Amino acid sequence: MLEPISVSLESLNLGTLAPMLVAICGGLAIIIIDLIKKDLDKSLYVMLSILVLFVDLMAVIGLQVGERGFFDIMLIDGIAVLSQIIIIVASMLFIPLALTSKRFHEFSYPEFFGLFLLMVGGFQFMVATDNLILVFIGLETASLALYTLIAMHNREKSFEAAIKYFIMGALGAGFFGMGSMILYALTGSVELYKIEEVLAAGGYQNLTILLVGISFLIAAFGFKLSLVPFHTWTPDVYEGASAALAGYMSVVPKIAAFVVVLRVFEFLISSNVVWLRDVLYVLVVLTMTLANIMALVQKDVKRMLAFSSISHAGFVMAAIMIGTTQAHSALFLYWVLFLFTNLGAFAMLWVSRHKESKWHERFDHPYEKFSGMIQIMPVGAVVMAIFMLSLAGVPPFSIFWGKLYIMSAAVNSDYIILALIMAINSAISAYYYLKLIVYMFLKSPEENDGTVYMKNASKPLQTIIGLSVFLTIFAVLAVEPMMGIITYYVEVSGF
Amino acid sequence: MDYILSILVFFPAVAALLGFIVSKDSIRVYGITVAFIEFALSLWLWLSFDGDYAGMQFVESVALIPSFGISYYLGVDGISLFIVILSTFITLVGLIALSETRNVKNMIISILFLEMTMVGVFVSLDAILFYVFWELSLVPMLYIIGAWGGNLRVYAAIKFFLYTFAGSLIMLVGMLVMAYLYYQATGVWSFSITEWHRLLLPLDYQIWLFIAFFIGLAIKIPMFPFHTWLPYAHGQAPTIGSVILAAVLLKMGTYGLVRLTLPMFPDASVYMIMPVAILSLIMIIYTAMVAYAQEDMKQVIAYSSISHMGVIVLGTFAMNPEGIAGSVFFMLSHGIVSGALFMLVGVIYDRRHTKLMSEFGGLAKVMPKYGLIMGIMVMASVGLPLTMSFVGEFLSLVGFYKVSPIITILAGTSIILGAVYMLSLYRKSFFGEVVNEKNRGLKDLNKKESTALWSLVLVTVWLGIYPKPVLGPINTSVESLVSFMHQKAITQKAKETIKPTVIEREAK
Repeated sequence: MLEPISVSLESLNLGTLAPMLVAICGGLAIIIIDLIKKDLDKSLYVMLSILVLFVDLMAVIGLQVGERGFFDIMLIDGIAVLSQIIIIVASMLFIPLALTSKRFHEFSYPEFFGLFLLMVGGFQFMVATDNLILVFIGLETASLALYTLIAMHNREKSFEAAIKYFIMGALGAGFFGMGSMILYALTGSVELYKIEEVLAAGGYQNLTILLVGISFLIAAFGFKLSLVPFHTWTPDVYEGASAALAGYMSVVPKIAAFVVVLRVFEFLISSNVVWLRDVLYVLVVLTMTLANIMALVQKDVKRMLAFSSISHAGFVMAAIMIGTTQAHSALFLYWVLFLFTNLGAFAMLWVSRHKESKWHERFDHPYEKFSGMIQIMPVGAVVMAIFMLSLAGVPPFSIFWGKLYIMSAAVNSDYIILALIMAINSAISAYYYLKLIVYMFLKSPEENDGTVYMKNASKPLQTIIGLSVFLTIFAVLAVEPMMGIITYYVEVSGF
Repeated sequence: MDYILSILVFFPAVAALLGFIVSKDSIRVYGITVAFIEFALSLWLWLSFDGDYAGMQFVESVALIPSFGISYYLGVDGISLFIVILSTFITLVGLIALSETRNVKNMIISILFLEMTMVGVFVSLDAILFYVFWELSLVPMLYIIGAWGGNLRVYAAIKFFLYTFAGSLIMLVGMLVMAYLYYQATGVWSFSITEWHRLLLPLDYQIWLFIAFFIGLAIKIPMFPFHTWLPYAHGQAPTIGSVILAAVLLKMGTYGLVRLTLPMFPDASVYMIMPVAILSLIMIIYTAMVAYAQEDMKQVIAYSSISHMGVIVLGTFAMNPEGIAGSVFFMLSHGIVSGALFMLVGVIYDRRHTKLMSEFGGLAKVMPKYGLIMGIMVMASVGLPLTMSFVGEFLSLVGFYKVSPIITILAGTSIILGAVYMLSLYRKSFFGEVVNEKNRGLKDLNKKESTALWSLVLVTVWLGIYPKPVLGPINTSVESLVSFMHQKAITQKAKETIKPTVIEREAK
C-alpha cells in the first residue's frame, strides 16, 4: 500500500508559481469576459493584457532570488527573474501593436489575447525551472499558442507559416524528448542540477552516449533559436506572420530558449567538454556568416530582417560558447538592446502594412516600396534608418553596445579569431541594412502618395515607435545601470 | 568657457536638428550662419589656447559607463587644435560656395551633422568616443555622395561606407584587446587614450595591435592598396562632398596614426617603418602616375590627393619632431589646397556639366579671375615655396631623410611628378585658344565663389609665408610626443630611431 504523502502548503512555496498563474488566469479571464459580453473592442483586451502583464511583472520582481518551490521543480534564480522581466516587458511593448487603425481579423477575437497571455505564461515556465520535463511543458504550451496566433492572421501565407512552424517545432520537440531521455538514462534524473552531480561524480564516463544526447538537445534548441542549419523555417514563418508577431518571435521565444540553453550547456562547457565547445563554435560561425550571406540577396525587408535576426542569434550564441560571467551578462544586455531596435524596426513595417500589393505580387514589404521615402516622409525614413544603422552596429545606437560587450567578452577569453569573425560579419551585414537605406534615401520615389507608410498608424503605435527610437539613440546612458542589474542577477545564479 | 569643446561638438548637431524646422528658402543663410558661429567658436578656442603647454587643454571628462571604463573625455592639444579649426573653416567655406539647388535643406542638415562628427573625432580622448564619431561620420557622407552624386553614386557611396566600416571594425577589435591588456596590467577598465599611452607592451603584442589599428586607419587615409574607394567617392560625390572628404575626412586617418598608433606602439611603429614607408612610396609614385593618365580634372585631383597623403604618412613615420610636425602641418595645407582644388573643379562643372579636360582650353581668357586662383592653387599643390604646402611637404621629407635618404629622394619625385600632372592639367584647360565654342560665354566667378576661394588663397599664402603661429603650438605638442615615445620605447632600435630634439641638444 502506498504511503499517504503529506505535503504542507508552505513547503510548496506557491509564491514561485504566482507570476505564471497571474498570466494564465489573466488569459482565462479574457476568454470568460467574452463569454459574458460579446463584441467588445480590441482596445479593451489590449489594455487588460497590459494590466495583467503589469501584475505579472510586479509578481516577478517581488520574487526572492535563490528559492525553489513546488516539489523543487520551480527554480527561481537570478537568470529566471531576469529573463522573466525581459519576456514580460517585451510582451508589454509588443501587444499595443494590435491597436492598428486598420481592422485586422485576428485582433477582433478575444482568443488572440487569451492565447497571448498563455504563451507568456509558457515562456515563464520555461525559464523558471531546471526540470527538463517542465521546460518541455512550458515550451510546448508557448509554442502551440504561438502557432495559433500566427495562423489567426488569416491569409494563405499565414496558414503555411503556422504549419511549417508547427512541423519544425514538433521535430524540435522530438529531438528534445530524445535528448532528455538519454540524459535520464545516463543519470536517472531529469533535473539539471542532479544530472550535473551524477555526471561529475561519475567523472563523465559515458561520454559518447552523453554526446549523443547533447547532439539531440543541440538540434532541438537549434530549431528554436533558428541556428544554421536548423533555420530554414524562419524566413517563411516571418513572412507569413504579421510584422508585429514576427518582431515578437524574433525576441521573446529566443530569450527563453537562450536561458534554457544556458542552463543545459553551462555546466558541460565549464567542465570542459571540449567537443561541445567546438560544435558550438562551428554553429556560431556558420549561423552568423551564412545567415548574413543569405540576407544579402533577399528582396523583401521582412525576410531580410528574418535572416538578420538569425545572424544576431548566432552572435549571442557565441556568448554561451565563451561561457564566462561577462559573456553571459553581455548576452542579456545584447538581447535587451536588440529588443529596443527590433521592436522599432518591425513596428515600422507594421504601420506600413496595406492590403493591395502594388509593388510585388508576393511580398508585403519589398525594398521598392521604400524608394525615396526621405522625400515623401522624411521623419519616417530617418527613424527607419536609425533602426537599420543600429542593427548594423553603427555606434552610438543601441546594438553597438551589445556587440561591444560580446566582442570584448570574446577577446577577454582569448577568442580573438572569433572577435575578428564577428567584426567581419558586422561589416557584411552592414551591406543589407544599407540596402534599405539606399532605397529610402538615394532612390527617387515611385508613384506613391506617402499615405502607405502610415496606413496602419495610430497614436499607440506611434508612441511605441517613438519610444524605441528614443531607447535606440540614448541606449548608451542605459548601459551602465542595466549592466549593473544584469551582472547582479547573473552572478547570483552562478553563471 | 570650460565646456567649449562640448559646445564645439554639439552646437552643429543641435543646429542641424533645429534646421528641420527652418523653411527651405532660408536654410542656406541658416547653414552659413551656424557654420560661421562654429568657426568663430573654434577661433576663440585658438585664442584661449596656451601654445606653450604641450599637454591636453580644455579637458572634459564625464564617466559614461564607469564599470567598463568608457567615458566622455574630450581634450585638445597642439596637434588636434588646428585640425579642428580646419574642419570648421572648410565647412564654412564649403557652405558659402555651395551651389547645389536640389534638396538643399537635407544637404545642409547632413553637412552640419557631419561637422559634429568631424570635430568630435579630433577632440575625443576616449577610444570608444573616438570610434563613435569616426563611424557616425560615414552616415552623412554616405547620404551626401549617394543622393547628390553622379551616375554611379550609389555604388560609390556603398563602397565608401563598407570599406571604411570593415576596416574600422578591425580597429575596434584592436581597441578591445588594448582595453583588456590595460585591464590585465592595472585591474581597471579604461578606454582613455591618454591612459593607454602609458601602457608598456611587449613588442609582439605591439605589432599585432599596430596592424589592427593600422588597417582601420589605412583604409581611411587611404593607403595603397586600400585606396580604390577614394577615386570612386571623389568621382561621384558632389563638390561639397569631395571638398569635405579630401580636406577633413581623410585627415582622420593620419590624425589617428599620430594620436593612436605612434604613442601607443612606439616600438612596433619603428619596427614597421620600412613596410609603411614602402607602401607610402608606392602610393606616392603610383598614384601620381595614375593622376597623369586621367582625362577628368576631378580624378587628377583625387589621385594627386592620394599621392600627397603618402607624403603625410611618410612624415609621420619619420619619428622625429620635424617629420611629425611637418606631417601635421601638411595635413592642414593639404586640407586647404585640395579643398580649394575640388571647389575650383566644382565651379567649372556647375557651368559646363563636364569635367573632361579635353572639353576645355583657353579658360584663362574667358574667366581670368578663375584662372588666377586656379593658377595659385596649382602652384600650391605642386609645393611651390611661399605656399602652405611647401612648408609641410618640405618638413615631412626632411624628417624622413634622417631615416632613409633613398626613400626620401624617391618620394621627392612626387614634387616633380606633381608638377607634371598639375601643370599639364592647367595647360590643357586654361592656356591656348578657346577651342570649344561652348566655353566662350562662360561667366567668371560670382560673389559666393570668390569669397570662398579667396579666403582659401589667403590662408594658403599667409601660412606659406609665416607658418609660425600654427607651427609653434604643433611643434610644442609634437616634441613632447616624441620625447614621450623615446622614453616609452623598449627596444634599442626604437630608442635610436625616435629622436627628440631635447636629447640632440644635450648631446651637443
